Amino acid sequence: MLARWTRLLLLTGLLPGQLLAQSPMPLVVESALDQQVMAPVLEAFSRAHPEVALSYHDRSTLEVDQLAREASPAPDVVISSAMPWQLERVNEGLAQPLDSDVVRSWPEWAKWRNEVFGFTFEPVVTVYRLDLVRHTIPPATHADLHQILSNHQALLRGRVATYSPSRSGLGYTLFQQDARYSPRFWDLVAAMGATDVHLEERTQDMLEGLASGDYWIGYNLLGSYAIRWVREHPQLIVQIPQDYLLVVMRMAFVHRDAPHPAAARKFIDFILSAEGQSILAGNTPLFSVLPEVIGPYTAKRLRDQVGEHIYPIPIDASLLAFVDPLRRAAFMKRWNREIRILNH
Amino acid sequence: MIVVDGTLKRRLGVWLFATVGGLGMLLMLEAYTSARRAASSAYDSQLEAASLTISEAIKWQDGQPVVEIPAAAFQILATNQQERVFYSILDSRGREVTGNLDEEITASARHKAHSGPVWLQSYYRKTPIRLYGRQLTSAGWESVEPVQIWVGHTLSGRESLTRDLFIRTLTRFLVMVLLAGLLILLAIRTSLGPVRQLQKLLRQREAGDIQPLSARVPGELYDMAETLNGLLAKQRENRDTLLRFTADASHQLKTPLAGLQSTSELALQSEHPEDWKQALETMHDSAARTSRLATQLLSLGRLQHSMGDATKAVNLIELVRQTVMDWAERDIARHHDLGLSTMPESPVSIHGEPWMLREMIGNLIDNALRYTPTGTEITVGLVCRNEMATLSVEDNGPGVREDLLERLHHPFERGGRQDTEGSGLGLAIVDSVARRHHASLELRSPAGEGLWIGIHFPMQSVGA
Repeated sequence: MLARWTRLLLLTGLLPGQLLAQSPMPLVVESALDQQVMAPVLEAFSRAHPEVALSYHDRSTLEVDQLAREASPAPDVVISSAMPWQLERVNEGLAQPLDSDVVRSWPEWAKWRNEVFGFTFEPVVTVYRLDLVRHTIPPATHADLHQILSNHQALLRGRVATYSPSRSGLGYTLFQQDARYSPRFWDLVAAMGATDVHLEERTQDMLEGLASGDYWIGYNLLGSYAIRWVREHPQLIVQIPQDYLLVVMRMAFVHRDAPHPAAARKFIDFILSAEGQSILAGNTPLFSVLPEVIGPYTAKRLRDQVGEHIYPIPIDASLLAFVDPLRRAAFMKRWNREIRILNH
Repeated sequence: MIVVDGTLKRRLGVWLFATVGGLGMLLMLEAYTSARRAASSAYDSQLEAASLTISEAIKWQDGQPVVEIPAAAFQILATNQQERVFYSILDSRGREVTGNLDEEITASARHKAHSGPVWLQSYYRKTPIRLYGRQLTSAGWESVEPVQIWVGHTLSGRESLTRDLFIRTLTRFLVMVLLAGLLILLAIRTSLGPVRQLQKLLRQREAGDIQPLSARVPGELYDMAETLNGLLAKQRENRDTLLRFTADASHQLKTPLAGLQSTSELALQSEHPEDWKQALETMHDSAARTSRLATQLLSLGRLQHSMGDATKAVNLIELVRQTVMDWAERDIARHHDLGLSTMPESPVSIHGEPWMLREMIGNLIDNALRYTPTGTEITVGLVCRNEMATLSVEDNGPGVREDLLERLHHPFERGGRQDTEGSGLGLAIVDSVARRHHASLELRSPAGEGLWIGIHFPMQSVGA
């Protein structure tokens, strides 16, 4: 499975051999972001900085977090969508502060302490099969989804998938955020529980299940992967929630003990630069944060399309509450209670 | 000699700098500590607020503390400076219920928090942090153990606020100093105005203008202006004396010259060689007198223009004896009884200039010889008394009228006598020499008993 591999991918294949011979500047990026999605940016980076030999390791959020905490030598750059965990690492002092024009001019709301930077703007969407529309209205809002799940419990049994809050950091974060915005979220959890919801670890797993017809509805999928996927799977529809739209930002920081800090700073500068963000906006579905960047995938365009009800998960100290062990335990306790509440 | 010793501006500047610098240092020290205090208390209240927010969320279930940490607490803790945040909730046995401080709260800190809120400067893995801890006891359905809430954050906000506050105070202070400096410069310029005014007034004067100054001056300059005026007055006096002397001298020279002219004219009109001879004799005498007058004038001029005090030690006895012997041998003294009274046994030493003193004694003897009839006794004496050496010249001639004695030492004063060949400068020269030696002149003329002239010298103290 594509998402399972965590293989070392030297982008040296893209570079002339003799250039590699004279490039003594290695760079190790541990990232919870599909290499295939990120490829256009990485290629552009290698073109702009041929002196850097980039090793991009594509891993799960939990693996990335563990490497950031324990790996020796430490990775140079850490990228993850598990926002609370990233912020916790930075709060511990695992990141080093950066100081460059690009970093300084990066929007305040998308960075913390000039140490960690949200560089994508990925909407969290619902994906459903066209089959569903033959039976009911599309789930345009969270309330719609709850209603559909409640009304078509028998039809949808085993055909609903979402993130596992216990096994996926991103999923847990999204549910915490959902619970923060509406107490009726727990009704939705109960309704999903009633359909024997499948709890997955990755958006990719859910997309594959949807494509194969195993699942009809996927809840809280990363729009960045889904938008790309449905282009090749016309039987799937990406639904942007019309009541409120959560937005996840991939957070990147340079590790405090980075063995190659200069190359790491170059990498961060590049992905935050207008050039890097243009590639994000034009060639990946990751959405650019910068308002001045033009392309099909930008935060600005998303705002224009969806309107005012966009709720990016804020990058600030409040994220730490989500990783508080007691709070997490309390949440999981309630999750486990709610998900079974309608199963007799 | 006038030496430029800095400027007033510089002096005032140095004083201002020293004062402002000294006071400024103290002020800035105070400003820094108070800025720190202000920043600290502002951020401490954030810690208190966060601690309170967390305590609201603590509940007990089955005797165990349960807390759903509110996200807002972290935002309060982080402040707008995005501090790194630390928290720990400890149960009664000091175990961490939840938190990220890795049990870095020491036992002593925990113990202190039993009795009240605790503020701590601490370290989280070498990063300095500010910690606030307090104990929370709560009522509940069952008796519950207390918990301690510890919250903390890094110090960048405090530091930057301290810096901001301090820089603001510093800026205000510097602007104030700058303004004060400018004002003081202005004040110096204004207060030096009268000095410049005075300078301008003096510079504009003609070289010979020695009229008193008339100017408006501040009190501090009054003394100086007054001294200047005193100096000018003395100058005026000196000039007047000089003018008078010059006029008198010209007059005195003119009389014998006119005599010479008329005698020679008369002789030229005469055919008799006897008349010529007589005229030549008259002219010879007159020329001799005039020559003597000129010598005396030169002598007086030399005395009045020689500078400085006489500093040589002179034995008066020797000097007097020599001078008297010198005069006794001259023709002019042949018809008088010039003598020396008994001299003191020990040497009489004074500070003096020998040529001046000789000139003085000579003039006194010359005067006595010229203004007394033949056969008069002239006695030169020297007496020491009370640290004073008194040199005297006494004669038993006709004497001088009491009312003329006072003016006798003025130039061209002859004691009302027109019958002598004296120049009228003798006593003036004596007076000049006496002044130069810090000596005083005394004249006595008891009716019909001749004239006594004494000069009182201060004696050189022994060993000096």
